Amino acid sequence: MIFRKPVPNIDRPQMEADVVIVGGGPAGMACALRLAQLIDEWNARHPYDTPITKENIYLLEKAREAGAHCLSGALLDPRAMDELLPNWKDEAPIDAAVHKEAVHFLTSGSSFQLPMVPPPLQDHGNYVISLNRFVKWMAQKVEDAGITIFTGFAGTEVLYAEGEDGKPRVSGVRTDDKGVDKHMQPKGNFEPGYDLQAKVTILAEGVRGSLTKQLTAKFNLNKDANPQTYGTGVKELWEVPAGRVEPGEVIYCMGYPLTSNEYGGAWIYGSKPVAGSDTNLVSIGYVTDLGYADPRTDPQKVLQSFKQHSFVRRLLTGGKIVRYGAKALTYGGWWAVPPVAGDGWMLIGESAGLLNSARLKGIHLGIKSGMLAAESAFEAMKQAHQASSSTYRSATIGEYQNRLEASWIKDELWRQRNFHQGFEHGLWAGMIHVGLQDLTGGRGLWERYPAKAGHEKMQPLASMPEDGGTRAAIIGAAKGDGSLTFDKLTDVYYSGTKHDDDQPAHLVIHDTDICNTRCTTEFGNPCERFCPASVYEMVEDASAPNGKRISLNAANCVHCKTCDIADPYQIITWVPPEGGGGPNYEGM
Amino acid sequence: MKILVCMKQVPQKDAPLKLNEAGTWIREEVSYEVNEPDAYALEEALRQKEKHTGEVVVITSGPARSQQVLREALAKGADRAIHLEDDAFVGLDAFNTAKAFAAAIKDEQFDLIFTGLQSDDYGFAQTGVILAELLGWAHATIIMQIEKTEAGIRVKRELEAGYFQYVDMPTPAVLTIQSGINKLRYATLIGIKNAKNKPMRKVAMAEVASAIGPNLQKIERLYVPQKSKQTQLLEGSPGEIAKKLVDKLRNELRAI
Repeated sequence: MIFRKPVPNIDRPQMEADVVIVGGGPAGMACALRLAQLIDEWNARHPYDTPITKENIYLLEKAREAGAHCLSGALLDPRAMDELLPNWKDEAPIDAAVHKEAVHFLTSGSSFQLPMVPPPLQDHGNYVISLNRFVKWMAQKVEDAGITIFTGFAGTEVLYAEGEDGKPRVSGVRTDDKGVDKHMQPKGNFEPGYDLQAKVTILAEGVRGSLTKQLTAKFNLNKDANPQTYGTGVKELWEVPAGRVEPGEVIYCMGYPLTSNEYGGAWIYGSKPVAGSDTNLVSIGYVTDLGYADPRTDPQKVLQSFKQHSFVRRLLTGGKIVRYGAKALTYGGWWAVPPVAGDGWMLIGESAGLLNSARLKGIHLGIKSGMLAAESAFEAMKQAHQASSSTYRSATIGEYQNRLEASWIKDELWRQRNFHQGFEHGLWAGMIHVGLQDLTGGRGLWERYPAKAGHEKMQPLASMPEDGGTRAAIIGAAKGDGSLTFDKLTDVYYSGTKHDDDQPAHLVIHDTDICNTRCTTEFGNPCERFCPASVYEMVEDASAPNGKRISLNAANCVHCKTCDIADPYQIITWVPPEGGGGPNYEGM
Repeated sequence: MKILVCMKQVPQKDAPLKLNEAGTWIREEVSYEVNEPDAYALEEALRQKEKHTGEVVVITSGPARSQQVLREALAKGADRAIHLEDDAFVGLDAFNTAKAFAAAIKDEQFDLIFTGLQSDDYGFAQTGVILAELLGWAHATIIMQIEKTEAGIRVKRELEAGYFQYVDMPTPAVLTIQSGINKLRYATLIGIKNAKNKPMRKVAMAEVASAIGPNLQKIERLYVPQKSKQTQLLEGSPGEIAKKLVDKLRNELRAI
């Protein structure tokens, strides 16, 4: 197999930039917008000076269209938007205001409603949105503010140069090579990626960003942080007869099909009515922690089994699926947040692991962190402008770290700093820890609960009961009945994902021998199960030691990053395919 | 050579479509893209300009969202754009669209006008041909190749069953371009950045309204075809089954 990498030994076009933001999700868009606001304000206050230009601020987005790769439930806590654009509610696409919430616990045969909704899950004041449409709206704002968004361009490599102190600093990013065939040969329309030489590079790639991964390795950013922990959320958007889940109704579910040994849970959000019909949209999804024991666990199957539970089935019967998607998410909390700024770089949003796992929300933290990063970037820009300097002071960039720690992001995450680690030993122990943490301002039994990376918790196949035992409903491939439940490929069709077939595989497996030998024997190739898009397939091959060899259906990829995270040998690196490829989360 | 390329924004090919309430067109909530044959028409225009110098101008009609196709064209190298911007342009038939285009370019002097062979949504394949009639120009359809000659141009047309036709024609002319005539280029970062400063002329409905009349074509009703599947098992010996199968294919389905 030939894997994607930047084409070596070619002349690349160079482009100078002041600020490059990689990733056009809510964090990246908010960062660009805040930066534009600060520049406009400064220019308005200094009418007789040379204005600071927005001309050389760029945002890279790998999707063909802004928002197309954005996937979330989604509930929006308005706090950050109120700060960014006080009148946002007048024009932003909001589907419903939350007015009703409930938490249910499901067992295989029954369900009961918790007598009260735990405070972190109380959602009055929040809004049901489509993150796709919300981000598309933000992108319009960014462009109207005069900042260039390059859609269809991914960042593929972090560029380094020597910093003020002689140590390496981040000096920009390289964009993806376009027009490379599956043998890594340039096609007739080959366009080399650019080297965007930036004074500051802000990574807003979302969960498990590929550049963030490079940066983390280069500067060993995780050395003092807890290992990041992740879940994979699998979502379906449905049109359901009106009256089942009202617009603005929020239902959280715990339990079935997961057992008390797996961490995770489901959401069901009532969204807006569908024009011209007696139905409304319902967002339904299940997040499965990627620290599960049974290697056959399949997050897409988890959602399918969940829908078959009588509690859910009655809500969906008679409805139909509109879209499908999957995305990993970070929920290691505050102790897993790495340093967020250094010489020439900043991390915002989920690239920094900013997500509140107790509240299952991160969009507002992404937006706020983007704003804070913009403030530091602007300070550096202003200093350079006033000193006619061509570089930004690393100390000023580094201020973002202090801004973040002095902000309400830290307050919010600090209260939940040990939340997810509390569930390290299952649901019941977790409940007790969370109760204790609640009484002690987030502390619980210890100041800092340790965490273990999820992939280290996977157990050998041989140690699992053949039929899965109590886990039967979450392992193996979902069959799907075609109306309520779907097999994986049917779901993938609804993700709208599309890639040029004639390009090198972007799921880089560093040693395929491990797949075909050790992994088959030890774990039974869990990639076939954890990938929610059927990218990984073990195909018959008589010449392979175990009769099967790994094959990739890279064009199915929905860019969820699960493989990069969950692979027990950590030999998969997700790199961006040719820009423009990927899912189309229209309305998700 | 001064070339005008007519482009259209269409729903993405594999987008799940939903009908509007009146059942006359699809709902707006869908992803859009450049009509594929138009992308080839643009590419061909850019290549002709690179060979013979000149100017490439792109034109489209439709609501604000359709400006995206013009921006993409400018990023790839078109020199300027004309946007007939109004929601009402979406409902025009090919005849009126061609009339609106003709009115919008009445002060321009083009040597060639390219359109895609047809649109991926309506699939009329009429706008380019009607535009040629309105302008009183020569036209040719399903173009696979264009060469400049002393007297005008020589084009290669795709016919049925692998046949081609070569035609010498004068300019100005309208050509409708077949997909696959060339290999599409990618927009570059610098191209996208420079596109921001290229001229984009907006034409309001009011400016061309006097040129257009009532639609001559209209969609009465749109519906999703009912899928039906009938399975018949043929029984007997292999020879008998083959006979029955041939009989069905020949006499019932008329496929052979």
